[in-house]
Amino acid sequence: MRLLSRNAESLFWLARYLERGASLARVIEMQSSFGAADRESGWAWLLSLHNDEERFKKSHDVSSANIIDFYVNDTANPGSIRSSIHWARENARSLRPFIPLEMWVQLNAFNDSVQHFEPSDLAPAQLPRTCATIRAGCLAQIGTAEGTLFRDEGYQFFKLGRLIECADQTSRLLDVKFAQGATTGHSHDPSDDFVLWSTILKTAAAYQVFRRLEPEGIDPEHVVRFLILNPSHPRSISFCAREIDEALHVLRRNFHLTRASACLEACDVLMEALATAGAEKDLPNKLHEFNDFVQRKLYGLTDAISKAFFQIDLSIMPPQSLTKGGAPKPTQNQRQSQS
Amino acid sequence: MAKIAALKQPQKVSALEGYDPGEFFCELLGAEKQPTATVAPLWHCLETSELASLRQRAADAERELFNLGITFTVYTEKDAIDRILPFDVIPRVLSSSTWAKVEAGVKQRVKALNLFLHDIYHDQKILKDGVVPKELVLGNDCYRKEMIGLDLPCGTYIHINGTDIVRDRHGEMLVLEDNGRSPSGVSYVVENRHLMQRAFPDLMQGLRVRPVSDYGQRLLEKLREVAPPGVDDPCVVLLSPGIYNSAYFEHVFLAREMGVTLVEGRDLRVVDDKVYAQTISGLVPVHVIYRRINDDYLDPQAFNKDSQLGVPGLLRAIQKGTLTLANAIGTGVADDKAVYAYVPRIIRYYLDEDPILANVETHICREPEGLAYTLANLERLVLKPVGESGGYGIVVGPKASKAELEQAAAKLKADPDNFISQPMVDLSVSPTLMESGARPRHVDLRPYAVTGKETWVLPGGLTRVALKEGSIIVNSSQGGGTKDTWVLVAD
Repeated sequence: MRLLSRNAESLFWLARYLERGASLARVIEMQSSFGAADRESGWAWLLSLHNDEERFKKSHDVSSANIIDFYVNDTANPGSIRSSIHWARENARSLRPFIPLEMWVQLNAFNDSVQHFEPSDLAPAQLPRTCATIRAGCLAQIGTAEGTLFRDEGYQFFKLGRLIECADQTSRLLDVKFAQGATTGHSHDPSDDFVLWSTILKTAAAYQVFRRLEPEGIDPEHVVRFLILNPSHPRSISFCAREIDEALHVLRRNFHLTRASACLEACDVLMEALATAGAEKDLPNKLHEFNDFVQRKLYGLTDAISKAFFQIDLSIMPPQSLTKGGAPKPTQNQRQSQS
Repeated sequence: MAKIAALKQPQKVSALEGYDPGEFFCELLGAEKQPTATVAPLWHCLETSELASLRQRAADAERELFNLGITFTVYTEKDAIDRILPFDVIPRVLSSSTWAKVEAGVKQRVKALNLFLHDIYHDQKILKDGVVPKELVLGNDCYRKEMIGLDLPCGTYIHINGTDIVRDRHGEMLVLEDNGRSPSGVSYVVENRHLMQRAFPDLMQGLRVRPVSDYGQRLLEKLREVAPPGVDDPCVVLLSPGIYNSAYFEHVFLAREMGVTLVEGRDLRVVDDKVYAQTISGLVPVHVIYRRINDDYLDPQAFNKDSQLGVPGLLRAIQKGTLTLANAIGTGVADDKAVYAYVPRIIRYYLDEDPILANVETHICREPEGLAYTLANLERLVLKPVGESGGYGIVVGPKASKAELEQAAAKLKADPDNFISQPMVDLSVSPTLMESGARPRHVDLRPYAVTGKETWVLPGGLTRVALKEGSIIVNSSQGGGTKDTWVLVAD
């Protein structure tokens, strides 16, 4: 039988939650390790990264300990690492008959460890190591999928979820960090600048390769271009967009899913915008506008994928069974938020 | 000095040290209370195993079950907790001749129950002949008028059956209960075996044990046999209430082992009395559903209107013959505790054979003599409400206090139709690894039978063990665990 819509949706969200967990763990790991030069703004920029200022301030005082707890351990925050891994596992649970046992066993044991953090795991001295373990756990799941998940339609949905989330995270990181750079102004000490930009690169897992390609130095213009346009860095927006496009083509071409066409159109708009950005001379100054556009397009793309593949196809059904059948039951996927 | 030496080299304690089954029938030692030649390798292996190391290995094995997600979920107000079914490493062994009798007995019973169901939903001959009281069947909550007159493929109503069997003091196998709705637990049979093979290969050495891994394949074969007429390549799916159901792992296991899609009610649609699954390329026809949802929740249009787990219109598809449901709707009337008492007569009526497996002696309290006997002997009997499952509401006379007995008698008098009673069976025991070593614990056996055109019985089945000393209630909800069940190839 062909892939159930519900399973396709779960694969998509499984990957998104894993990618989200890994990205957030990397952000916190780098902030706690290299954030010293960033003292002035401290941890508050994490709230901007996820547009959480309002929500957070309603119930918390802004302090680094509170922010760390909110993003690592708080089960009431659907965007925390703990929640992300929980929802990744819930999606994997519904996919258990479909995904390889190796994937399930890794994620099940990993989730169990994440759900049982001790307060000491979040203490400043231990936090980088805790986050490194979380990041490795998420990547182990993604790697197990790469190594064992059968390459049928299902894999394409896993890939789409991962890539859309990755592009979104990179775009948000650039947006917030550049806005932060603009308000605090440039430091007089070039070493401070180096730390700032290299931390951004590390947060996008790009520092080492960036040094290799651009040994003469790190400047904002090059960092922006690298993280948006580099065709070979797996976390650059362009790389993700191209792979998204490829996955959608595979669905349409190899699996004869003509419904992918609407999604491809949404992806085309994103690819065109990236091509235009490449020719843009003053990209850093138009960064916020550009990132805003990227994030809206990624949102639209998710919506298009959902409409094409995940939602109940009402058109096939005769009208009387619609009225009698009633609305489908709310699912856990409705709790899966896009941000 | 001698004392220090003893500390350095603590005395090794054998896992079997102090094992004494007492007056009960021991599954491993048999009537002679001596290991036979066939189980000698296992006995020897346990005897030479050090208790501490065996317990450590057992704990590791249980951790593995948790990581593999071979768990059931317990919901409290606050949390959902995944629990493993406690697993005992000392297997329960059945000789091939003992098994041959159980297998034949189960096949006979399933055959008779299917004929009984066909009859009560068609001509009702057995009721007209007065063999089973009419009101017991037609007045039963599980009797579904919607099924009257429907002809099911192969005449099979109970495709998957679990028969609960106990063994008495003399080693006699007796049927305690039939489970013809959706018996659970088969996943533990196969997973327990896999765990034993991985973690305790030494225990298996020297014994030839019949395999159980092909259950999924056999089940699929049978389900394809009962596809609606005219469907050459039927699409079989497993219908689960979803991840929040406590038996979800078993549903995953069954779908995986059959190689079929696990669907939830919301994945299915009925269009023009045919069932479809919602896939990424649109609606795909479905022909056979192995459902793990109770009758009441299957179809909100036909049964419980508030059900969100079911599929509106499912009953119509069944009635039109475009869909086979396994097990069929309305099988609950055959595994009712009150009807159970009549099964030996049902077997004789349809098959003209004596039952191969006897029932436990049963007193039907709806009948005056049964009620009188039960009231007079309550302290020696086990009193069971007929409508409950999972061991709830059972009063064990010999273990009950005077106040409990009085309370039970009052309940019985108020609603005698709701009860049966049975003498207390001295359940057989099996050595079970406890902190202090192997100790006798009471066990039962649930063999699984799958039926399409014919019936196939999985060798062995689920052995449940009451882990509390002296307890005879083996249900997982009441502190029961499981054991691997080995059917030997030779005696």
